[in-house]
Amino acid sequence: MVFPSYEFAFFFPVVLALSWALMPRPRLWKPFILAASYVFYSAASPRYCLLLAGITVANQIGAVLVQRAPSARRRTLITAATVAVDLGALGVFKYYGFFADEIGRFLDSIGLGMPLPLLTLALPIGLSFITFQAISYVVDVKRGLIPPASPLDFALYLSFFPHVVAGPIVRAREFIPQLATPRNPKNVAVGAGVVLIVLGLIKKVAIADYLARTVVGPVFGVPEAYDAPDVALAAYAYAAQIYCDFSGYTDIAIGVALLMGFVFPQNFNSPYRATSFRDFWRRWHMTLSRFLRDFLYIPLGGNRRGKLRTALNLMITMTLGGLWHGAAWGFVLWGAMHGACLVVEHQLRGRVSAPGWLRWAIVFNVVVFGWILFRTESLDLATAFISRLAVPGPATLWAPAALAAIVVVIGFQLLPPDPLERFRLRAARLPAPALGLVLAGVVAVVGATVPSQGVPPFIYFQF
Amino acid sequence: MTSPQPSIPKAPRGRRLRSRDAIVAVALAALLLVLFEGSSIRLSGEEMQPGFERDVVLAIGKPAGWIADRLPFDEWGDEALAFLEDEEVGGAGGFDGRAPAAGGGRGVPPVPPDSFDPSDLGVQPKKPRPLDTLLVTGDSLSMPLDVEIARRAADGDAEVLRDPHIGTGISKTGLVDWGKLSTQQVREHEPDAVVVFIGANEGFRLPGPRGRQLECCGPEWAAEYAYRVRRMMNTYRQGGEARVYWLTLPAPRDGDRQEIARAVNAAISVAAEPYRAQVRVLDMSELFTPGGDYRDAMTVDGRRQIVREADGVHLNGTGAGIAAEVVLDAVRRDFGG
Repeated sequence: MVFPSYEFAFFFPVVLALSWALMPRPRLWKPFILAASYVFYSAASPRYCLLLAGITVANQIGAVLVQRAPSARRRTLITAATVAVDLGALGVFKYYGFFADEIGRFLDSIGLGMPLPLLTLALPIGLSFITFQAISYVVDVKRGLIPPASPLDFALYLSFFPHVVAGPIVRAREFIPQLATPRNPKNVAVGAGVVLIVLGLIKKVAIADYLARTVVGPVFGVPEAYDAPDVALAAYAYAAQIYCDFSGYTDIAIGVALLMGFVFPQNFNSPYRATSFRDFWRRWHMTLSRFLRDFLYIPLGGNRRGKLRTALNLMITMTLGGLWHGAAWGFVLWGAMHGACLVVEHQLRGRVSAPGWLRWAIVFNVVVFGWILFRTESLDLATAFISRLAVPGPATLWAPAALAAIVVVIGFQLLPPDPLERFRLRAARLPAPALGLVLAGVVAVVGATVPSQGVPPFIYFQF
Repeated sequence: MTSPQPSIPKAPRGRRLRSRDAIVAVALAALLLVLFEGSSIRLSGEEMQPGFERDVVLAIGKPAGWIADRLPFDEWGDEALAFLEDEEVGGAGGFDGRAPAAGGGRGVPPVPPDSFDPSDLGVQPKKPRPLDTLLVTGDSLSMPLDVEIARRAADGDAEVLRDPHIGTGISKTGLVDWGKLSTQQVREHEPDAVVVFIGANEGFRLPGPRGRQLECCGPEWAAEYAYRVRRMMNTYRQGGEARVYWLTLPAPRDGDRQEIARAVNAAISVAAEPYRAQVRVLDMSELFTPGGDYRDAMTVDGRRQIVREADGVHLNGTGAGIAAEVVLDAVRRDFGG
């Protein structure tokens, strides 16, 4: 089930009302929300629920065994085994086809033939997010940051429907404590929740899908058919599209959770106003960045083992972060490119100074360049796209609406945050019926802009 | 071990309301949606794949549609927002207005000369007009086929128009009526060749004689489906001036979908019979799934490669590239070059 759908429009009011009705009685509320979350998740395929349940059971057993383990060595072993189960599930479903193909290609090139059966397994929706959250739980238990949760609380944490499909990646110690006591029914951020849902819908359907349809899809599909002005426009349009698509989904997820009384961490903070790559990764997909930092970069040694090792750790972290997005060389290259930028930036820190606008321009344009690798996925298509940037020609796609959409998306992020925050606070002050009217109005207006080609799925669903 | 450290994120700043205000806001929005979009909800439910979600949407959509039919809200909403809507697929040629295909009194139809591919008869085929415009269309199956064809044809003189319509089907007319859309595409672009790859969302009930609903995938359903396909083929071939390349469906992984794909493929084959001179049915079923057996990978250029998407329905980039080569070979046979 996806947020911008009639199914969710009927599912959510019923679940929201029952959720608040049952909230004072956790023994009823928790099984109810767990069941609702599984219904939500099963809409993609009921079979995926078995995998979700399997991951839940494996990690709960792992967490309990970790806590009961008599020695640090045993705790580490159990944690490693549980994480291996999680990564194994991810590896089989997400990467098996890719690596089997690549290994086969290599063996074929040295005359050893194809030893691995080639299969394309359906990737259960949200699996990457689910496994990362499960890993964060077991590792945090191992580190003593949280005790093992009750099986019901943990199952609810992993499957909670606002975040099960595409995040944000909520840490167990952020969410499970919220299950300890009923949410306060007199202290609900209704206005903020509705504003976020409204913003998310506008970002996704009105902006991201429009840019995808009119500029990004045509040019990235056949870059050979376009010249530099259109190809450059498509690169900036994709930067705006992917931001609106993913942050739009996150806004809706956070808004839905707020209406239910739960708080999720922020996932985006005007990433295109970043003036360094480090700054960018503190603003873009923030919950993934901190996961990679806490569970990969720091355990690798972080920046504590000298310059060379820091550089290597950055490269490993960002390259694996790229691969997390999908089984394709384009993602790997994209991650490696960001890793290299972080390394260079780390080396230059304190040695080179540049005005803020110049640092912003460099970071922003390199990020946009990286999106080309991300979007094209294959190297030959990326090469074709980039080579067209040098071919002068007419600007056939520079429609005022597309230009305005790009300028608005990027320009809003460059504005000081205070006026935007004031606007959000003012909107959040509206009474409940007015908020309902605004939500209905936006749903109707946004729905009317949906073309006959339909609403494409959120980009991050595939990850 | 260190002491447990819960770190609940901070809620956004701003006014707090009560839980019932949250319910009021969301319920009011849902109610307004039902009042203003009742018929759309009903239509959306009718076009969903069978299952629990469809049952839920229809359980609300049917009474909502009934109410919307009797109140002016739906119409007001449509009028107020008409300026935002995508250009309507209008005009002549829609499926809904036609008499049922399986009705009696038709007699035995004549066999027109166009039923024969001249090359089958050893006759020199009539030269088509030059290939200036090649339209690639269909549902999600036509992606990334459209891209693969366009990339391969980028160096040539012909312009490749890509017009996929995700989530649409010939057996469902709510989102897009392919009868009308095909007419509009021909009117707008006058393509010299049309590539059609559609069938991922088929299997919906079709209207039959005397208001009967035909369930997929028996002979009556296939006959009605074939009639719709034939009308589209006739539209696209533009009186014999253009060439049509219609791709059959490779067997999907799922057993229920296989049944639908079999019926669709049989219907395509029957539909093309009167127009063999201009319509080429390109057999993707035998190419990708010989004997109707689903497979993820096949041997390409001497090595095994994955050709299907993980959903077990669509072709991936490699598969679409293979299909594109087949299409372009057929185009070259007709147009030369």
